[in-house]
Amino acid sequence: MSLAIATESVAESEEEPLVPPSATDASITALIADPLLVRGAGRSWWIATAIAAALTLVTIIAIWRLLAEGIGLLGNNTTVVWGVPIANYVWWIGIGNAGTLISALLLLTRQRWRASINRFAEGMTLFAVSIAGLFPILHLGRPEYFYWLAPYPNTMTLWPQWRSALVWDFWAIVSYLLFSIVFFYVGLVPDLATLRDRSKSLRTRRIYGAFALGWRGSARQWRLHQALYSTMAALAVPLVCSVHSIVGLDFAASLMPGWQETIFPPYFVVGAMFSGFAMVVLLAAAMRWGFGFQQIVTVRHFEAMALIILASSLIMTLSYSTEWFSGWYSGKAAERGEIAFAFTGSYAPLFWAQLFCNCAAPQILCWPRMRRSLTALVLVSLAILVGMWLERILIIWNTLSHGFLPSMRHLFLPTLEDGLLVIAPLGFFAMLFLIFVRVLPAISMHEMRQLLHERTRP
Amino acid sequence: MTAKLALSRRKALELLAAQTALLVAGCSRPREEIVPYVRMPERMVPGVPLQFATTLDLGGYGRGVVVSSIEGRPIKIEGNPMHPASLGATDAFAEAEIFSLYDPDRSQAVRRSGEIGNWAAFLDALQPRLLELAPTQGEGLRLLTGPIGSPTLMRQIMALRQRFPRLGWHRHDPLEDQAAREGARMAFDRPVTALPRLADADVVVSLDADPLGAGPLQIINARGFAANRQARRGAEKIGRLYAVESAPTLTGANADHRLALPPGDIASVAIAIARALGAALPEAALSPEAAGFASELARDLTAHEGRALVLAGPTLAPDVHALCCWVNAQLRAPIDYFEPDDRAQPSSLADLVRDCAAGKVESLLILGCNPGYDAPPNLRFHEAIRNVDFRAHLGCCFDETAALCEWHIPQSHILESWSDLVAPDGAASLVQPLIEPLYDTRTAHEVLAALDGSVASARDLVRDTWKASAPAGDFEDWWRRSLHDGIIAGSVGKPVSGLSPKLPQLKSRPADKLTVVLRPDPCVYDGSFANNAWLQELPKPLTKEVWGNSIGIAAPDAAGLGIVDGDVLRLTANGRSVEAPIRIGSGHAPGVLSLALGYGRTAAGRVGTGVGANAYLLRADASWAIGGVVATPTGERRPLVSTQKHFSLDGEASELFPTFTLEQFRASQGNAKEAQLPSFFSPPAGSGARWGMVIDTTLCIGCNACVVACQSENNSPVIGPEEIAAGRDMHWLRIDAYQIGSSESPRTGFQPVPCMHCETAPCEPVCPTGASVHDSEGLNVQVYNRCIGTRFCEANCPYKVRRFNFFGYADGQEYRDLGADVMRAHNNPDVTVRARGVMEKCTYCVQRISRARHAADKEDRLISDGEVVTACQSACPTRAISFGDLSRSEASVSALGKQPQHYSLLRHLDTKPRTTYLAQVRDINPRLEGKTG
Amino acid sequence: MAQIFGPGADTVARGVLAGIAAAPFAFVAFCYALASSPHVTDEGVTVTQPVPFSHEHHVGGLGIDCRFCHNGVETSPVAAVPPTETCMNCHSQIWTHAAMLEPVRQSLASGDPIHWRQVNRLPDYVYFDHSVHIAKGVGCTTCHGEVERMPLMRQSAPLTMQWCLDCHRNPAPNLRDLGEVFATDWRAPADQDERGKRLMVEYHIHVDNLTDCSVCHR
Repeated sequence: MSLAIATESVAESEEEPLVPPSATDASITALIADPLLVRGAGRSWWIATAIAAALTLVTIIAIWRLLAEGIGLLGNNTTVVWGVPIANYVWWIGIGNAGTLISALLLLTRQRWRASINRFAEGMTLFAVSIAGLFPILHLGRPEYFYWLAPYPNTMTLWPQWRSALVWDFWAIVSYLLFSIVFFYVGLVPDLATLRDRSKSLRTRRIYGAFALGWRGSARQWRLHQALYSTMAALAVPLVCSVHSIVGLDFAASLMPGWQETIFPPYFVVGAMFSGFAMVVLLAAAMRWGFGFQQIVTVRHFEAMALIILASSLIMTLSYSTEWFSGWYSGKAAERGEIAFAFTGSYAPLFWAQLFCNCAAPQILCWPRMRRSLTALVLVSLAILVGMWLERILIIWNTLSHGFLPSMRHLFLPTLEDGLLVIAPLGFFAMLFLIFVRVLPAISMHEMRQLLHERTRP
Repeated sequence: MTAKLALSRRKALELLAAQTALLVAGCSRPREEIVPYVRMPERMVPGVPLQFATTLDLGGYGRGVVVSSIEGRPIKIEGNPMHPASLGATDAFAEAEIFSLYDPDRSQAVRRSGEIGNWAAFLDALQPRLLELAPTQGEGLRLLTGPIGSPTLMRQIMALRQRFPRLGWHRHDPLEDQAAREGARMAFDRPVTALPRLADADVVVSLDADPLGAGPLQIINARGFAANRQARRGAEKIGRLYAVESAPTLTGANADHRLALPPGDIASVAIAIARALGAALPEAALSPEAAGFASELARDLTAHEGRALVLAGPTLAPDVHALCCWVNAQLRAPIDYFEPDDRAQPSSLADLVRDCAAGKVESLLILGCNPGYDAPPNLRFHEAIRNVDFRAHLGCCFDETAALCEWHIPQSHILESWSDLVAPDGAASLVQPLIEPLYDTRTAHEVLAALDGSVASARDLVRDTWKASAPAGDFEDWWRRSLHDGIIAGSVGKPVSGLSPKLPQLKSRPADKLTVVLRPDPCVYDGSFANNAWLQELPKPLTKEVWGNSIGIAAPDAAGLGIVDGDVLRLTANGRSVEAPIRIGSGHAPGVLSLALGYGRTAAGRVGTGVGANAYLLRADASWAIGGVVATPTGERRPLVSTQKHFSLDGEASELFPTFTLEQFRASQGNAKEAQLPSFFSPPAGSGARWGMVIDTTLCIGCNACVVACQSENNSPVIGPEEIAAGRDMHWLRIDAYQIGSSESPRTGFQPVPCMHCETAPCEPVCPTGASVHDSEGLNVQVYNRCIGTRFCEANCPYKVRRFNFFGYADGQEYRDLGADVMRAHNNPDVTVRARGVMEKCTYCVQRISRARHAADKEDRLISDGEVVTACQSACPTRAISFGDLSRSEASVSALGKQPQHYSLLRHLDTKPRTTYLAQVRDINPRLEGKTG
Repeated sequence: MAQIFGPGADTVARGVLAGIAAAPFAFVAFCYALASSPHVTDEGVTVTQPVPFSHEHHVGGLGIDCRFCHNGVETSPVAAVPPTETCMNCHSQIWTHAAMLEPVRQSLASGDPIHWRQVNRLPDYVYFDHSVHIAKGVGCTTCHGEVERMPLMRQSAPLTMQWCLDCHRNPAPNLRDLGEVFATDWRAPADQDERGKRLMVEYHIHVDNLTDCSVCHR
């Protein structure tokens, strides 16, 4: 439904071009490729990378401490056995969903504006999912045995316990990661060829060449490529939905008040898209500014994304209220108590903050001028990213700290380690992304050219 | 935390080492060694535990126990059914002795003014003195002991008196109830100690007494109490317990009616009762409510003459005790009075201090007591003892008193000693060593022998004592039987008969504005258990506080002072002050503060030193209620560390702990509500046994014996106050305390919560590795070696009974010095010591089940009912826990399951727990209903 | 523009792609092979001992019963390695001066035990009970192999969980009459199939709960 809105809006503002009228194949290609091949990294890039690297180091130290000392370093306790790593995991996997979703869904629904954002959105997906994948392992008491979740022949004749949502999770993440890599790579091949042909030094040509797999741009190759790419896109959509549904089941497949709810899978998917688009907006804005992509990442792009965010926000709000209603309607003391605790209990301030960030703040986008104002959009996106993290941590804290037996009600007291695990990985993510934009075309050149072509054709 | 940091380095190196090892040596493991005996000790079969009967000491009284020892290591203590003070059950202290035995902080060598010395050197120093003493008949030689329950020790002291007629013996018991002693003397003109028979009392009135609280009588009284709490359809026997007390006690918590009054008014209640029984006494002022309560007590007591009982507590004055003796006599109350064995006429610590100050004491021997810590400060023990020029101390650890003495001699732990002890009813039993002394230690017997110039072994000394009194016939047979049974046949004392108490003259006392009531601590008792980490981490029955003590205070008083939980309060009395955080506790009388003794040790050891506040500092003499206290908030805050924070059961939650009045119980037609719920789950498969547990909340008095028993049996680690403050704990069995009824005078209900072993366990489907699985006998087992620590099981456990090793609590990251090698010896070899990152929980003592199963299999029979006894079940003094095979209709658990008050926790979740409960049934006095909850 | 790759490049590329696809499977297969190999299980590894005690001589040659030394095997979870004095019962009479027995004499004289090196090792979290296996007709050699032919002791079974489970799922092939449990030369008779079935019934062995985790792990 959100997409429908987007389509219309884009149709309406047809006068506004997705690519500058003056643009030619050559100019577009140059615009995107030159930062990699000709121009060196600017000072801002180096500063950003330095900061990101520092945070990456912090991430590594935090993880090492965790492995050496034990997860007792985290604030988890007997009652609230889950905590920050799980929330981070859900949050990152949510971010990771948007990339493939944008590419695939928008490709299938012929959203032409997708061309200039899908590449780095997919990049974002890869990095986010890999980071997300770390947390379930880090939160284990004995991380060294994480592979026991995989079925493999062993001398104990033991298998994973298939009924556990965590095992489904394992498969969801692994398959999603593998798929995203391939999808990303397939989309990349023609551009790698372009880079191969444009780069001056033999070394870079060899490297790009090797990965270009001998792409020549023949009609046959293009046909095969298109076929493969759209097939994968078709496969991607259900996969994307399955991933976060299964994450939702980690909670829903339990009997704890506030978790045991059928609404979780769908609303986790929307939540993922929600936070994912927020992150895309941030990255798009950053690159637009960093590379001077003003002509190809236009206000129209942001407007379209703003509409999707607005729509998702409405859906989220609806889901929340459904959750509260069904909790109340169930008539169970535990369920009602849990909801009351969320609104009035120890974590109420965070809960209200969450509602503000996810439900209230995005509403300013109903206002066309706000949809077209980058600042507003960026601020809203930031709010959403915070709000969605709060949502995930509160799903855990509220339910676990307010269980069935009053005698076992304890609060979660975050520790330094918790804090590090929240902040530092952002730097790691940033570093991966910064490197990515330096070695690969952050915007799909061949699809931009295609866009250009379609425009010039009567 | 420093320990942690140190560890992280070690861990890192380990990892490094392990990694390199893998690289070079591929996967080959280092070979383990098998080290057999050179000569096999007789009757020992490696791998099979042996049981020995012995006796443990508490406050000078013996509690008979049976100790399991495997390959020479004592690992578990259980009650001795043949012993009158144990009756097959234990208390927390008895269970924890194992931990004390292996305590790394135990004193290991003789010390002379701090320097390491040896026993020979001590003897050399002693001999010349003895020679000097001989002519003066022992003038200036003094002996200071704790309460002595050992006939042999008594005999030795008498013998010493023969040699040194002027020898002075002083007895110091910090928990002595002097009021009771003097009261008895007042009433009967002779010193007698009272032993109530609660089993024979239908109506019990406790006036600030705590018969169910910690102490040498706890097990006996609890069993007697339980005898009158049998809520069984058909065979019901339910008595009534009233408590009038100044501050909460276990007795008050288990009372059917409880009234909180300051000690002064409690005396008035006693007077009111006496008047109702015809005592010619002036009326004492009482509030209408209290007066009404008192008259109702009198009515109910007289209505049950012959089966009614009044108990007075240490906070009451001697004359009130005497009055209660009179009342009991009028009621023909079921109490036995015994003559204490005071042949050697001990004198008090005060006398000793006076003589020391006067320079009359040249040589002082302190045997196994710790006045350096627990002497009333007004005696100025520290200053006085400096005037003594030869000071020797025998003690298990180098404690506060040892520091005051020139010589310190390490004392053997009771599980390393030969001795004998007498139970409250006079029944004697032998103490036999389970293990050779771990260090170069001596028993009190050996030290006294040395004083007597002989070098007899403790064993011979004990045998000599009994050779005299043993019946004619072969002494060796008698000796062996006595050792085997753990009780000396026919040694039960004869109650004094024909006592006629006279009505005492009552002194009137001014009422105090603010009173501090002292209590022995339910965990560290008088402080002698302060270095026992099991007991330090044991949640206190009523507050669930651990690792320290706090000042209990009534809500209005706290409001008056403008303080809340955790604010530090300074109490000043007798010129000394103590600072401790407060805990607002319902059930405190207005103007009454409570504080537990036994904390604030300065030389207990690495675990117990500096924990909590030392309440002894407030004392003048051995007083239990200290009037005229000044309380001033310091503005400081010390968060209270406890394992349970919410005690109230409001609204729907009250179904977690249903309660029945006797009428409701009689009226209720079977447990209709236990009818099967509709369920998606198919009935459990599997032939064989269906293990189940039933816990009777009417009987549970919350004494904690089961908790320590479980910890001891199942190698549960201690994690320390920081971890508990973080909301973690490792007890497999916890006792939830809930407050039911009105908030000003609530009734406390105790609900022990082990794993429920649900037939449709929520923890099982969520475990990704199948570490949490069912076995065919219905146990919900946790396979540690398959667990990777996702903690999904605990997240999904509605009862939150699973415990997670966030650190290597028993695996390289132990608390303080608990990782010492000697500590490993206390572990039960039949139970895995869990590694870091692994989930664990109650197993229904699966090791005991499988031992029974193997025994049965080998004899090709079925396991008989009662053959498997879980650790918690065997410890329980009231027998509140039953365990057995639900598939057998004759099994006790099956019978209890048919009781009308039977219910299962959170049954609407359809988890089908195998651990179920019997709701609390209480005999409410309709006349008082509503008034006092 | 010069070519940047040689003619073989395609083949290499295909190879690499194929390799990437195959690698995980190859890795798992390798690990499994390694885990079940003697490198890890120690199956068949002969262990040198401080005293070169020969079961071949004592059991095979002299025909001494297992229980003479391992006297706990019928009553205790552990079979028990005999104390030094058991050795000296005989060797105070025969071979009193044999050099190879010096450590034994030393041990008895000094009271320091002999440090034997463990041959059959189960992980600490496995609670194996010899006595119940003996009582249910599982013979010594079923797990310990033909000790009467071992000059030095070696582990003759993999002792993996898989191996344990094979028997716990279907004990019949390994069940003997109680008289034959300690027979070191026992070979499964021709009619073992119905023997096994009969003994299963006689010994009341129920396979359904023999594979419970709690049977071996606590």
